[in-house]
Parts: sequence; C-alpha cells; structure tokens
Amino acid sequence: MKLIVQYIRRHIGSFCAAIFFLTVEAMADLLQPTFMSHIVDDGVKNMDVRRILSYGVIMFMIALVGAFGAVMRNLFASRTSQTIGKEMRSDMFRKVQNFSLENIDRLQPASIITRITNDVTQVQEFINGCMRIMVKAPITCIGAIVLVIVQTPQQIPVLVVILVAAFGMVAANMRLGYPLFGILQGKLDRLNNVSREFLSSIRVVKAFNAESQEQVKFETAARELAGAGTAAMRVMAVFGPLINLTVNLGIVVLLWLSQNQDSMEIGRLMASVNYMTQILFAMGMISNILNSAVRAAASSGRIQEVLEEEPAQKMDDEPITPDWKGEVTFEDVSFAYAGAGNEALSHVSFCVQPGETIGIIGSTGSGKSTLVNLVPRFYDATRGKVCIDGIDVKKMDEKELRRAIAVVPQKALLFYGTILENLRWGRKEATETEMKQAAEIACADSFIMQTENGYDTLLGQGGVNLSGGQKQRLALARALVRNPKVLILDDCTSALDAETEAAVLSGLRRHLQKVTVLLISQRISTVRRADRILCLENGTVQGIGSHEELMATCPTYQAIYHSQIGGGENG
Amino acid sequence: MADQNNIPPVSAGMKGPHKGLHRPVEKPRDLRGTLLRLWKLTKGSRKGLGWILILSALASASAILSPLVIGRAVNMVDSGNPVISILMLLAGLYLCDWFVRFSQQFLMASVGQRMICQIRITLFNAMKKLPLAFFDRRQHGELMSRLTNDVDNISTTISNSLTQMLTYVFTVIGIFCIMVSLSPLLTVVSLVGVGLILLLTRTVTSHTRKLFSRQQKILGKLNGQIEETISGENIVKAFCREEDVIEQFEESNEELCKTATRALIWSGYLMPLTNVINNLSYVGISIVSGVMAVNGDLSIGMISSFLLYVRQFSRPFVDMANIYNNFQTAVAGAERILDILDELPEPQDAPDARPLVSPKGEIELQNVTFGYMSGVPILKNISLKIPAGTRTAIVGTTGAGKTTIINLLTRFYDVTGGRILLDGHDLREYRMKDLRNSFGVVLQDSALFAASVRENISYGREETDITEIEAAARAVGADAFIKRLPQGYDTVLTQGGTELSQGERQLLTIARAMLTDAPILILDEATSSVDTVTEQRIRDAVLHMTAGRTSFIIAHRLSTIKDSDLILLLENGQIAEKGNHAELMALNGKYASMYRTQMG
Repeated sequence: MKLIVQYIRRHIGSFCAAIFFLTVEAMADLLQPTFMSHIVDDGVKNMDVRRILSYGVIMFMIALVGAFGAVMRNLFASRTSQTIGKEMRSDMFRKVQNFSLENIDRLQPASIITRITNDVTQVQEFINGCMRIMVKAPITCIGAIVLVIVQTPQQIPVLVVILVAAFGMVAANMRLGYPLFGILQGKLDRLNNVSREFLSSIRVVKAFNAESQEQVKFETAARELAGAGTAAMRVMAVFGPLINLTVNLGIVVLLWLSQNQDSMEIGRLMASVNYMTQILFAMGMISNILNSAVRAAASSGRIQEVLEEEPAQKMDDEPITPDWKGEVTFEDVSFAYAGAGNEALSHVSFCVQPGETIGIIGSTGSGKSTLVNLVPRFYDATRGKVCIDGIDVKKMDEKELRRAIAVVPQKALLFYGTILENLRWGRKEATETEMKQAAEIACADSFIMQTENGYDTLLGQGGVNLSGGQKQRLALARALVRNPKVLILDDCTSALDAETEAAVLSGLRRHLQKVTVLLISQRISTVRRADRILCLENGTVQGIGSHEELMATCPTYQAIYHSQIGGGENG
Repeated sequence: MADQNNIPPVSAGMKGPHKGLHRPVEKPRDLRGTLLRLWKLTKGSRKGLGWILILSALASASAILSPLVIGRAVNMVDSGNPVISILMLLAGLYLCDWFVRFSQQFLMASVGQRMICQIRITLFNAMKKLPLAFFDRRQHGELMSRLTNDVDNISTTISNSLTQMLTYVFTVIGIFCIMVSLSPLLTVVSLVGVGLILLLTRTVTSHTRKLFSRQQKILGKLNGQIEETISGENIVKAFCREEDVIEQFEESNEELCKTATRALIWSGYLMPLTNVINNLSYVGISIVSGVMAVNGDLSIGMISSFLLYVRQFSRPFVDMANIYNNFQTAVAGAERILDILDELPEPQDAPDARPLVSPKGEIELQNVTFGYMSGVPILKNISLKIPAGTRTAIVGTTGAGKTTIINLLTRFYDVTGGRILLDGHDLREYRMKDLRNSFGVVLQDSALFAASVRENISYGREETDITEIEAAARAVGADAFIKRLPQGYDTVLTQGGTELSQGERQLLTIARAMLTDAPILILDEATSSVDTVTEQRIRDAVLHMTAGRTSFIIAHRLSTIKDSDLILLLENGQIAEKGNHAELMALNGKYASMYRTQMG
C-alpha cells in the first residue's frame, strides 16, 4: 500500500483535482434532498407555487454543477490511474533491464511477467476505483451526517448511536474479513499451481496411470478454495445486512421521535430520512471495498518486491578500456550461486590466448555454463578475477564489454520480428551483406532462402515457427553479425545433426581466425576441433591441453572419452 | 443520491464502471441450450438455488414496500396522527428484510462456492480423461485459466446476473404499479427520464465498445513484448539491447495508456450524464409534485414515497443492459467450458477388454500409418516384429517419427492405419490401465512435482515402501545425490525441481520408471541432458534392468545405443535401415556415416 501512496504522490495534483471534483459531485447529490425539504416546508406548506419553481431551478443548477464535477472527476481519475499504471509498468520494466541474471533467477521470469502485467492492472483498477467510489463513500457518509445534523439537530444522540453501531460493524467486518480474504488468495494460488503442474506433466500422468492421484490433489485444492471462499463470504453475509438493519432501524427511530416534536418541519424529516439511506449506501460501499483492497495490497506488495530488488552488480565509476586483443584469463576464480551452499566453480585458473579456440568439456553440473557466464558479467565471480587483456571485467564498462563479446546460448532464443531484424540484434549498423555472410557461415542461409519471404520472413514470439536446429543456426548467425572479439558457444549445436554441426564448426574455424572462442560441448568429437581442451568436473579444472595430452594425463577426460567412443577404440 | 437499500452484492466487487456495457459483447452460440446444460450441472445445489431465488424475490419485495410505508409514516407525522402502528410495521418490514438478505447471502456463500467447486471438479474429471492430442493442441495457460478463473467468474456472473435480473423485473413491475397508483402524471414524468437514459446509454456504448476492443488488442501486444523480453533477458543483456527493448516497450506502453484513458473517459461519461437526467427528473418531479400538493392533489407522504421510488425505478433500466451483456459474455464463456466436457475422451475400454498381467513383451507393428493431422502422415506403413526381451534402439533426425512410435505404443495416440500387437493382440483390445502399467517410461522433459523426492519417485504408486524407493534410486545411481539433499528422501522439491541439476532431475525420473518394474521400458532421449559419465552409469543400470525386458531407447548419441539388439534408422516416417550395430556399419549406409561423424 505504501507503494500506491508513493505513486499517487507523484500525481498529487491531478489526484487531488479528481478528489475535489468528486467532492463537488457528491455534495451536489447531497444538497438535492435539502432543497426538496425547502420545497415541502416553504413551498407546499405555504401554498406558494413560485417558491416551488425557484427552488426547482436551484436544484437543476446544482444538478448541472454535479454533472460538471462528475465529468471533470472522470477526466482526472481516468488519466491519473492510467498514467500511474503506465509508470509502474515502465519502472518495473526498466528496473528489470537493470537486473543482473542473478536477480532474475531469484524472482523467476514467469513471476516477473505476471507482476508487470496482472498485478499492475490490479493496482491500477484499485486506484481508479479509489477516485471513483471509495473516496465518494466516506464523503457522502460525512456529508450526509452533517446534513442530518443540520436538518434535525435534535436527533444528534440517535444519530451518534446509530453511527457508532454501524461503524463498529464495518470495523469488525474489516477485522474479520481481511485475513479471510488473504487466505482465499493463498488457496487460489494453490489451485493454480496444482492445475499448472497437472497440465505440464500430462504425459507422465498418463504414462503412470496417475490420473486419480492428480484428481485427489485437484479436488482437495478446489474444496479448500471453496471452503475459504465460503468463510469469507459468510463474514460479509453477516455484517452487510446487519449494517443495513441498523441504519434502517435508525430511520424508524427518527420517525418515532419526530412525532413527539411538533416543531419539526416535515420537509426536514423527509430529507433526514433520505440522508439516512445515503449513509446506509455509503456504509455498504465501505465494507465492499475490502475484497478489492486485499487484492490491491497483495499486488502492490509483489510489485514493490521487484522495485526494491537490489541490482546484484555494481558498476565501476571509472571504467578502464582494454585494447581488445581478446586474451581471456581466469585468476583463481570461485563462484557460488546466491543461496546455494556449494561453489559452482572453485579456484579456476587458466588463460586463453587471443584467437585461440578452447573447448570446454565436462559432465552436466560441472560448471561449464557458469564458467563462460562470468566473462560477459552475467554473474560476477565470488572470489578471484576474470580478466580480458589483463583488465578485470568488473572494472570495465559493462556495455563496452558486452559489445566485444558474442554469446550463443544453449537455448536459442529469437524474438518477434523478421529474420533480418533478428540478425540485426548482433550489430545495429550491420549491412545486409554482412548479415547474409554470417548466415552462410552458420549454415542458415540455405534454409532461410527456402522460406517464402527469405530474410524478411516474420518469426513468431520466441521464433516458434522454426525447428530447434534452425533456431540454433540463426542464433549463431546473430552472434557472428556482432563481429566479436570473444565468441562464446554454449553447447549451441546440440540440435544439429552431426553433418551440419561439422560444417558449421569448420566454417567458424575458417572465418574466425582472430576471434577467441570458448566452445562448450558434451561431445568429445566437438571439442576435439578446438586448439586446447579444458576439462571440468565439480567446478574444478581437471586438466587443460590438447586431446592427446588430456588422454595421457586426465582421468576424467579419459572416462568421458571411453563413455562416448567406447573402450579400446582409438578415435 | 442513494440507490436506496440496494447494496450491490459482494461478489460483483469493483470491476470498473459498467464493464459489460462497454466491453465488446461475445454472443453465445446457443443461449437456451447452454443454460439448460448448466442447469444440469447444478445437481445437488438446486434446492439451495431455489431458495436463493425465492429469497431474492422477497428481498426485492421489501425494497419495494418500504418507501410506501415510509411515505405513510411521514403522512402520519405530518397530520399529527399516532404513528406507532405504522412504525411497527416499518420496523417489522426492515427486520424481515434483514433476515431475508442475511439468509440469502449466507446461503449464497456456501451454495455458490459448492457449485463452483463442483463444476470445477467435473471439468477436471473430464479433462483428465481426454487424449493427449487435446493437450498438445492447446496452450496450457489457456486451459489453466479455464479450470481456475473462468469457472469462478462465469458461474458467479451467471448466478448474480440471474438473481439480479429477477430482482429487477420484480422491482420494475412492482414500483411501476405503485407509482401509477400514486400518481399517473408523475409516472409519465419519470418515464421520460428513463427513456432519455436508455437513449444516452446506447449512444455512448456504441462508441466505447470500439475503444475497448482496441485497448484489448494493444494490451495483448504489450504483454507479448514483456513476456518475450523477460524470458529472453540473457540474450537482451548479451547483445546490449536494453535501451532498444525499453524504447520498444515504452512505445506500446504509451499507446496503451492513451487508448485506455480515452476508453475510460468515454465510458465514464455515462454515469454523470445518467445522473444529470436522473436529477432532472428528480427536479421535475419535485416541481410537479410540489404544485400538485399545493393544489391538494397529492399528500406530502406520497411525494416522499414517490421520490424514493424514482431512484429505484431508473436504475434497473440502466443496469439491465449491462447485466444482460455480462450475462451473455458469461454464457459464451460457459460454452467454452462445456466444449471441454464435449471433447471425446480417450476411448473407453470395451466391456470384454483383455486384462494384461505381466505380458511377455513381444511387439509387432503391422502396416502402421499415423499422422497428427490428417493428410500429413508421420509414420508410413511400418511393419516390424520385436521379440520379447530384446533391446531396440530408434535413431534418426529430428522429425523422423521416433517419438511418434513411442506415443503409439503407450496409446497416447492411436494408429490411423494398421495395428500394433502386444503378445499377439491388438493394443486396443487391452484395458488401457493395464496396458500403460506394462510400460516404464522416461520422457524427454523430466516432469517433477512439487512434492518430496520420495513421492516423486513413487509417483503413480503411492503405497510404495521406502526401501523399494531407495533400491530404485540406488539402481540408477541417484541415491548418492538424494542423500546429500537437506532432508534426503523427504526433501520437498519446488515445482519442476529447479533446485536440482538437469541430470539429477533426469535421474529421478529414471528411478521413477525403474520402480514401476514394468516388463517394457521406454527411454525417450532420457540421457540427452545427462553428461556422458552419468550416462554411462545410467546405461549400466538400464542394461541391468532391461535384462529380460523388452526395451525401446531413443537417443541422439549413437554411442548410447551401440549394443542394442536391433537398431532402427527412421527417415521420413519409414524404416530406412535396420539391424544391429555391426550389420549397419557393414552396410555402410546412412547409419555408418552418422556414426563416423559423431565419433569425429
């Protein structure tokens, strides 16, 4: 909720304007019965048609003022709530762009996405509702109370009793209802999780005949949700009508007392009764806001978490520029993921010469991807340092560093847009010929030309209309367009068949003689194409050298070799 | 001005002003048929529903009567008569009103929730019986929202709008009668107001509907952008595209803000303008009734009642269109839910279906043809005999149809032509449950559940002894890393098991298949994401387990399957080469060349 206040404060001017016009609107509504009472008491009682007409005209003018207030309120409220929504989305989006991958891992991408989309909408609707109804309820309530007092001052004690009772009930309702709606939200999340799990594991569910097990899970979640829902609704069912009854009985009492006071003018009595019903309505509104307030509070909490997340990496104030020869050095580097107990890398030291291709092999979880992720500063080393041309990457300008490095990740990610636009991600100023050249080296040109619109073919979100192998080749081409000093290939040919892979890799060798390449693979056959091979196991370097050297000295490498090529055979 | 005594129902919540009026209306295909089917689904809650309807009728009756009684009371006060009896009546009326409302809402709380829960469970039951093709064709997010939000929104909207429509009909008729009886002239004045309001509503909504549908479109685009960027954040960073994606995002964000503001402002005009007309007719009635009172045609109490009625009278007319639109959209939503119930479930077992207890595992494919879409065959006329207890490997490029064969064996899909025999009988003759129990399956995507390691391994077999679970884990070499977890076998995994490495996750699913002790084993790329050393370990375990069992292994890495009894090379949905490793190498065809490139 604090967050919502913060954003409102930024637009305090238009917010106050909205509230002001809302007040005008509410006041105009409130004044009508008063003038009606004048019509009755002054006009009808005195048989004066003129007065009736003149009060009528006043009432009409007030109605117009009220409408003007409402129109203005609408203008300000709509603009303010939408602008706040826009700013929240924008702030979150920008913040996320500043996150390191460590932050994103922690918050989880899917969750960040829902926060930017759903949660913001939730808050936005709440703010809009605030300026429409929620504030109107108390204004109407207070205004009506004042007017009842003005109209029939002798009834103050009755009014106080009724109001205290009604407010007490509203408070009790909030008190009891708030936690219940919180529980409700939790149960809803649970049901969502159960269904998501069921749907994403449907093959396993069927293969293991586990439908009934899943059903029990789902039914339990659904029943618990229904139970929580019933409990929350019941609280509302108890208090809503009770508040109604209190105010209604107030009307009865008002009428009852007024018969004994002859001085009372009948028009005023009518107005008071009318105001009582307005108070009643406002009270009802207040207790109804609960549900929406609980949701908005939960949403704003989730938004706040993103906005308050500290970016895990610090920038250096005076960055140093290396001379970009492309020498990559690891000096006693250790790294542990946030929250993980074990180190993913420990005491890793090695040096890659400019223009050298180093193959990195090791079992899953041995730290291959982690190792290369430290070079473009996706993560920062916990201890030791990663240097390019002798300069610690932490001391460089992040943008410049990443401009000199191209990464082809394990999972080829493409974006909505044409193939050409996707390739241009590599370098904005790249020419079409350069991009086509890159595509040729990556063996992507042939299949691109086969598509209907060639390089102008539109890719769906995430490149859905391509096969895994095609995506990998495009991702590789994109990296080549960058013209990098250091190229990182993170097991990026896994979806290619062996022949295409061989063609791609030899193409790379021919064209990238001055580029330092870090080539990750699980296949011996792939890393053998590198100048040297680094063998990792459990985050430590087991050996580094040529295939023959490692075969002679490194038991881990030997084990991998034998598991792939088979014992006894010699490659 | 108060909408007297009519506090909107809780569940209507605060969903913006008159959503249903401005949002594009989705028309149901068959309103009556759908309602009828929904009615059938309410079995078990009907009594409660009936009561709720009766109670809402009663509630509207008390709303209609109270202004009349108040007017009478005002008259009494005015004329100085004793009001005690009329006030008793009023108090009685209010008490009744309280009781009716309380019981209606209290009842609704349980009946409504129970109904939603029931529909949800019915839907889930139908869904779990659907064939895999259904799930493959649809986005999971969409199905999920059917199960959760849709059911809730739809049934709440339908039941709310039904009760509300009913209440409104009662109210309008009741108030109209009373108003006419009080004063026909004043009734005409208020009808003019109602007419104006209806006209206004139509004009505004025809405009806003277009704006809102544009807003919806832009919102979809923006959400797509957000999703794409954030799930590909490492690429955005790697290529320093932060500024560009922000720029792109801001553009759509700005566009959304503009359109949404316009839509909101336009739709927001409706309420104040309606209010003006309302106030106008209020003023008109005040004047006319004042004049009439002066002439002695109307008592003051009657004016009082009349003014209370006018408010209640115009509101249903405005809301009715809104409610009806919401209602239609909800029914259309309900049709989408019912569509799922209409989907053909997996074929039921015939009454004389064959039980299948520990089959030998001899499998024969006879002229098997299959395609996911008609006209696009994936497998073409495949015939093949696999003796019991042998190891078969299936290799080939992506899209050659390797996984499809597995899908057919487990009857995730049924053949389009030809047949598959197990121990000499068509797969379709067996009981589905028995059939699937005969397969131990490890799939490409390692599906783990938000449950303990132990529960994950014993998935589908809840009453498994811990010693058996540990034995299975040991057999695949998962025991060691499980014991290193904080609570060992009782460690509760997050959904998808994200705290484990991919290899560890795969080991757990392999242990799961081991535990089934099924006579036929299927490993679909089960070791592709496991490093070669771990793979070696798994393969040893699998070899040990597959002894005497029929097994199918799909693998990219040919080293994995070299020692299979039979290797099938699939190409374009047909068997291009078949034989054991030595035979295929001697053949010196496609397999041999694949093998040589892989071995470098």
